[in-house]
Amino acid sequence: MTMKSEPFVVNVGPQHPSTHGVFRLRFTLDGERIVDAEMIMGYLHRSMEKLAEGRTYIQNIPFTDRLDYLSAMSNNLAYCMAVEKLMGIEVPERGQFLRVIMAEFQRIANHAMAIGSFAMECGVWFTPMMWMFRDREKILDLFEMTCGARLTTNYVRIGGVSFDIPPEFMPAATALVKELPERIAEYESLLLENEIIVVRSRDVGVLPPELAIAASTSGPVLRGSGVMWDIRKADPYAAYDRLDFDIPVGTRGDCYDRFIVRMEELRQSVRILEQALAMLPEGPASVEVPLALRPPVGEAYARIEAPKGELGFYLVSDGSPHPQRFHIRSPSFINLTPLRDMVLGLTIPDAIVTLGSIDIVLGEVDR
Amino acid sequence: MEVVGSSVAFEDVGSIVAFWSLAVVTVGAALMVVAVRNLIHAVLFLILSFIGVAGLYITLSADFVAITQILIYAGAISVLILFAVLLTPRAARDNAETFLQVPGLVLAALVGVTIGAIVLVTDWNEATRGPFSETAVAIGEALLDKYVLPFEIASVILLAAMVGAIVLVRED
Amino acid sequence: MIFLAEWWDVRDLGNAVGALLEWLGDHGPDWLPYIVSAVVGSITIVVFLLTSLLVFAWVERRLIGRIQARMGPNRVGPWGAFQSVADAIKFVTKEAITSANADRWVFWLAPILVVVPALVVFAVIPFNEGMILADLNVGVLFLVAVGSVTAIPIFMAGWSSNNKFSLMGAMREVAMLISYEIPLVLALLGVVIFTNTMRMNGIVGWQDEHNTWLVFLQPLAVLIYFICGAVEINRTPTDIAEAESEIVAGYHTEYSGIKFGMFWLAEYFAGFAIAAIIATLYLGGWTLWGLEEWVPGWMIFLVKLYGLFWFFIWMRGTLPRLRIDQLMAFAWKVLLPLGLINIFFAGLEVLLWQENDLPAEAVLPGFAIANLVLAVVLIAAWAQLLGRGRPQYRPTRARLVKELGAVIYGEEA
Repeated sequence: MTMKSEPFVVNVGPQHPSTHGVFRLRFTLDGERIVDAEMIMGYLHRSMEKLAEGRTYIQNIPFTDRLDYLSAMSNNLAYCMAVEKLMGIEVPERGQFLRVIMAEFQRIANHAMAIGSFAMECGVWFTPMMWMFRDREKILDLFEMTCGARLTTNYVRIGGVSFDIPPEFMPAATALVKELPERIAEYESLLLENEIIVVRSRDVGVLPPELAIAASTSGPVLRGSGVMWDIRKADPYAAYDRLDFDIPVGTRGDCYDRFIVRMEELRQSVRILEQALAMLPEGPASVEVPLALRPPVGEAYARIEAPKGELGFYLVSDGSPHPQRFHIRSPSFINLTPLRDMVLGLTIPDAIVTLGSIDIVLGEVDR
Repeated sequence: MEVVGSSVAFEDVGSIVAFWSLAVVTVGAALMVVAVRNLIHAVLFLILSFIGVAGLYITLSADFVAITQILIYAGAISVLILFAVLLTPRAARDNAETFLQVPGLVLAALVGVTIGAIVLVTDWNEATRGPFSETAVAIGEALLDKYVLPFEIASVILLAAMVGAIVLVRED
Repeated sequence: MIFLAEWWDVRDLGNAVGALLEWLGDHGPDWLPYIVSAVVGSITIVVFLLTSLLVFAWVERRLIGRIQARMGPNRVGPWGAFQSVADAIKFVTKEAITSANADRWVFWLAPILVVVPALVVFAVIPFNEGMILADLNVGVLFLVAVGSVTAIPIFMAGWSSNNKFSLMGAMREVAMLISYEIPLVLALLGVVIFTNTMRMNGIVGWQDEHNTWLVFLQPLAVLIYFICGAVEINRTPTDIAEAESEIVAGYHTEYSGIKFGMFWLAEYFAGFAIAAIIATLYLGGWTLWGLEEWVPGWMIFLVKLYGLFWFFIWMRGTLPRLRIDQLMAFAWKVLLPLGLINIFFAGLEVLLWQENDLPAEAVLPGFAIANLVLAVVLIAAWAQLLGRGRPQYRPTRARLVKELGAVIYGEEA
């Protein structure tokens, strides 16, 4: 006996505690299951790409801070690499290692937030987030020690870094890296084996690898689906080819796998940091770059493995001090593309958990 | 199983006040069930009359039956009625909307006359035995001793209802 | 038990009230003692609950803050102790908005009615031998009945908000509540089978007489009751009605100001009620193996009550939230069968005991050990039976690779 039912539209956001920013989702439900999901973005669009065309290359670096505002160092790095590719500038060794150190610290800070908010989506109400924020606070203190800012760091510059590290950085950084592994073990024991998190996120929001590759996802979303791909190994940049680390990969493509990939990336970042801090060479940290930068006519695309995925900058120069085209390949935006296929057939709490596991930041999605 | 007290007439002030106030609440709520326009309000007044009946059971010292009345009627059956009302398509309709008004009036008058005649004609006896003090024990023993067959048949009926409900909503 | 039945015996405040009622009965009309006893009892319960609420609202926030590695409120008064007063003032002074299309009477009545069951439950809870407002012969059944009435005001709140999401949230909430009533009753039945009485003071007396606590004899039942109680009061891991990430926003979305304060109040009162019930039925109530001769029984009882409430606070700070269908599956597929098996074995044990007329001291320790083993074996076996040991539910770690390019989808980790 069939019951008559009609589809039912539920609107999530743009103001909602779980949408990671101003992001709107319209679900069409049949009973409890989602039959259609429409994503409406653009609430945070600041037309960064157009604004950048009116500024010089060096003036655009603070813009990149504000893209993925949770991982500013990585954004700076990608943009500077693009400009250096355009101009053919070589960054000295110390500068490369400093970039690696800052990028990996930023990865740990970002994943602390991502894992914390994923656990919050599963309902733990702040506790893992507060615990992981202790480490994030220490990392942000290191950033403040180096460049004066915690969030929008503006540290990685064209030709190297803006300031060399102060003398108190190394002892603090080494101490932090020494105590991180046992912290990570504590988080793993509380979160990885928590039966409720396993039950909430296993087989939820499955992303098959064919769809992941077709939608050009990257980062933990792609690796969670079983595809072994990491730009630090595929297209090495900034001293990563001299460091030894592994890439965590999931096998099922569900939210739990993305979560464990991020947890494991924390450990691998600590491994990279131990090596980089020990191998940090002496010498200049950056080369001199003229203030009125005029790159030759041409185009360049540089990409890095940002904590959220492949962050790329495509620059077209026409010889003037301002870029002619400044395009950002933002990982959060591209990773959102298969969301509709991931949430079809799920209930709304599951869809919220899936959205949390993709780990988006609206600054990057909307630029 | 003890018998408490020998006089059972409602003589003291407390009993009289309790009985009449509970009776007013019960009958008043029952009248409002059929008098209000909004269907959900009617259900809520029905719940109030259930609670009134539980109070009347307490004045008769039937504590087990009173608590069971609240548990089953006000706790479970009212939830059932509310769900049923809300899941039907026209839950917002007026309670008074019906095309069977004349037959309804005739039937109500017949039932009212019948009940009134019974009340007036019957020779009501006063109970000579006082209330029990351990009603739960008495009911339990009766259910498993003298009335075990109806008890078991009631369980089988409930099982049939549950299986039927599951079969009806299964998506095959 | 040497209880001097004098009015100045502070160990049992019921003596003072009893002396007052006797004096009133001698000097006044017959019905006056009943009314005075009802009034005194009710006012005491309300005052006790409100004081506990004020204290525990602050305690909970500080404790959850410590669990989350932060301080908790520490601005308002020494160590933030007046935070609850500030919260109460905030609730009272906020504008209580009523939507234009909401059903005014029902909307206004629902928050009032939701506090009633939580308050009424305390009428049968003994704080000491003479400190019980109504020592009903069917005390345990009264607890269940009043708990089941909680569903109606929630439904009224959801429906009268004139908001389809509130209505859906209320219906889900009611479904959850009625699903969890059945294992709750079964857990309580385990107690009644052993003690042969439903009177609350009778159960406490049985535990005192046999010098044991029912938690040792019925570990599975106390676990089931604790879980069902947590669900009935909407505490994490089951606070689906108040979860921010559940978009169907819950039955009290449209409520603000003191009306929302009443819902919050009812949750805390119900939490105290569940803790009080567990303390009475399973932990021996106001007795502590003879200590109640020196320490007032109600103090022992309050220590037990607050200790159990601490478990609720701990669970809230630590556990994630279950989805509603997982929650209901848990009630029907796990708690209900375990509860049934528990009362079957409890009945078997009591039958063996009574039929063979064995002495209590020999038999009860045996029962305690048997029941504990049974509880552990049952839980493990049931989890296996439901397939919880399958690789799909086992936690795994990510695989570490060094090369790139391949896809390892679908393999076992």
